[in-house]
Amino acid sequence: MFYWLAAIAGLCGCVSAPAMAQDRSATKQGFELPAHSNKRILVFRPAISVGGQSMAGMFEPNADWTEKAKVNIQRALEMRQAELGNTVIAAPEAYGDQARDLQEHMALFAAVSQAVIEYQFFTGNRLPTKKHDNKAAVFDWSLGQGVAKLPGAQDADYGLFIYDKDAYGSTGRKVLQVFAAMGGVSVVSGEHKGYAGLVDLHTGDLLWLNADVEMGGDVRDAEGAKKRVGQLLKKFPGSQIADEPKQ
Amino acid sequence: MAAPVVFAASAPLPPPYAGIYQPQGVDEAGWWREDDESERSLAASPLVIRDEKLTAYVKKVLCKTVGNDRCNSVRVYIIREPTFNASMSPNGTLRVFSGLLLRVRSEAELGGVLGHEFGHFERRHTLQHFRSARSGTDMLAWATVLASIAVAASPHSAYAIRDNYHDLQLSVYGNIYRHGRDQEREADHLGISYLNNSSLRPQAFSVVWQNFMAETEASARVRGLQKPNFKAIAFTASHPPDAERAGYLAELAAPEGAGRDEGADRYREALATWLPVFLDDQIKLNDFGGSEFIIESLAQNGWTAGLWFARGELYRTRGNQRDLVNAADFYSRATALDGSMADAFRGLGLSLMKIGQRTEGQAALKTYLKLKPDAGDAKLIGMMVPKEEVVK
Amino acid sequence: MTRKISNFVVGAFAVALALASSSAHAHKLRKQGERVAVAKEAFFVTPTRDWNELSISAGKNDENWSLDGRQLNDVTFFGGIPAGSPLVRETSSKNDPLPKFGANTLIVEVPELLEGTYRTAKKSGSFQVLSTEPGTFLGHDGVIFTYQFSDEDSLTRKGEARAAIISGKLYMMTFDAPRLNYFDKLVGEFRALADSAGLK
Repeated sequence: MFYWLAAIAGLCGCVSAPAMAQDRSATKQGFELPAHSNKRILVFRPAISVGGQSMAGMFEPNADWTEKAKVNIQRALEMRQAELGNTVIAAPEAYGDQARDLQEHMALFAAVSQAVIEYQFFTGNRLPTKKHDNKAAVFDWSLGQGVAKLPGAQDADYGLFIYDKDAYGSTGRKVLQVFAAMGGVSVVSGEHKGYAGLVDLHTGDLLWLNADVEMGGDVRDAEGAKKRVGQLLKKFPGSQIADEPKQ
Repeated sequence: MAAPVVFAASAPLPPPYAGIYQPQGVDEAGWWREDDESERSLAASPLVIRDEKLTAYVKKVLCKTVGNDRCNSVRVYIIREPTFNASMSPNGTLRVFSGLLLRVRSEAELGGVLGHEFGHFERRHTLQHFRSARSGTDMLAWATVLASIAVAASPHSAYAIRDNYHDLQLSVYGNIYRHGRDQEREADHLGISYLNNSSLRPQAFSVVWQNFMAETEASARVRGLQKPNFKAIAFTASHPPDAERAGYLAELAAPEGAGRDEGADRYREALATWLPVFLDDQIKLNDFGGSEFIIESLAQNGWTAGLWFARGELYRTRGNQRDLVNAADFYSRATALDGSMADAFRGLGLSLMKIGQRTEGQAALKTYLKLKPDAGDAKLIGMMVPKEEVVK
Repeated sequence: MTRKISNFVVGAFAVALALASSSAHAHKLRKQGERVAVAKEAFFVTPTRDWNELSISAGKNDENWSLDGRQLNDVTFFGGIPAGSPLVRETSSKNDPLPKFGANTLIVEVPELLEGTYRTAKKSGSFQVLSTEPGTFLGHDGVIFTYQFSDEDSLTRKGEARAAIISGKLYMMTFDAPRLNYFDKLVGEFRALADSAGLK
């Protein structure tokens, strides 16, 4: 009933603070996923939400854009992973107890990601015990072995969690931005944030996490979605190899 | 400026039912899609009470109020949250908080609140509200930028500029909230018109607000807060003043409906197994005045062992010496009515021990252990009772 | 609700940003085998492994430790809560008062006190005490209890606590972690830490 209240709260995003230097991704030490190792990656229902941004910065959800983005991102993901030599499988629909178990794991993934961002990516806020370990670049986080029982897990090697939110600035927002810039005030037009994480479906270990609050690529068209997926999967294990020109 | 919405002295008939509704336009389709996603996770949420019988009963009360054709577009979820609330979102998801079920006393009272929520849905209020908030804040965004530029350009007059900006901000937000209150009034009017056209007694709806005002007052009094002003409109209030609501709802209730059944007995029966649970959730909220009010109003139909027990728990939890004397009294009334109520013996024993009546306290704790040998705290309580007597 | 969780995660950027910008609030290393005073020197523990003392605590008399961050595992030391005080900081003592530890609170009532505190602070009906047993803490007779609750992030957490009332003050250690993976994996570490606790 009060969605709009939350939307109004977004208004204060009008004037932005400069982002601090921080890590945006990390990979578990010792984890390697060589190109063309032909792994099966289970993609859990991606949380994708696309809309506009009113002049004041309120999120205006757009069903059509969101549906397009879902299809585009899914296709780009399949293509990207095919280039890396992996197969992408969409997780089957879950019901009843299975749905609740899946949701709890999604919530745990969110909590783990939050902890990684808060205590690892922000280097100044690192936990001393992890700092010790980080000297050896250890990245040690896990969802536990319960993931092996999630629907679809038995037919896959890794699980991929994806979150993506896009708000495209309206014309009004852009005009406001230009005008404000002339006056020396910074107004951000549009909001493009996302994160993705890869989990070992046998151990539950978090293998790689990437989180970015300023991404490019217009997910509403196929070409843009390709660019976005490239950013979402930045430093995805094995991707550096695939980025190099083929011989 | 937005003129206050004026309603005739009699409630309008509900609008003709338009049939299954599909979202129209970009904004609405967008919100429905967000809402569908939200409902997916709600359905798997650990806070949803998965009691098919109770959920079906609440749905039935909704159907009785708004009619079978209308209520088919609704999915009901009962959420274990002890606050007084319910909400209906654009796609037809009705969230009913357990705190609401604890506070209403009859099908008619519940129907009034559910009908109100359905009114928001039927009138597509979320969408209108979103649009009103968007145009209001659009203006504010320009003002924010202009004020920032002006402050940067002439720092000396910064205060004056900020003041002007502040005034504008107040008037814009004021409009948004007023829009919210007008919607609430409209939903109230729909709620009462559904009830007027139902088999339930429409006069009950006003009672919900009268009770809620009394509870809020009781809660504030115990906390040493000022008596709430139910006639004033708080600037940010999203709802009309409670006194106003209670007033117009009483006026608009169809007089010919006054003789109808409220369904209080059926309601009590349907809630019987959950009531002690919801009451316990309420007592543990540390709102002495509010909880005491709820217990006393439930007791208007006669004090039961469960209500005496709840009152004992409430007083023992606050724990002043005078509270403990009262708690012991309430627990003994519970055990007098129901000699098998183990937890009442526990509370009685602990209260008596704390006011220095050790022997009697130990006797009550022994009874507790006898009635509930597998209690979670049996070993710990056992240590408070002389050993040889426990063995016996 | 999924969206809420996800926004919550992105919101972590903002939280971390605020925390990271002031180095005065750095987390401290608590080394294995090194005896250390906790919760305003109310009592002492000797960790059996390295732990982190978090820069922000739950209340005036409290101290928080963690291995992976407060979302994933949280040890709270309650150091001698005096009669008339709440267990954790109140957001508004007038409008949202928390239950208080009382001069006449019995040890068997301590689980109820923690339950009331969690429920009141979270306005939630999901807290459940799972077990209550006699036990010793800081060399005194006390209570060991376990519980479960669903937090605002829709994640169900389990908890274990040890408490004793000594000279009219409440001493307690609690451990909260998601019931998936983290609780079972680390409750042993918590127990070892609690076993090492002493008044002097």
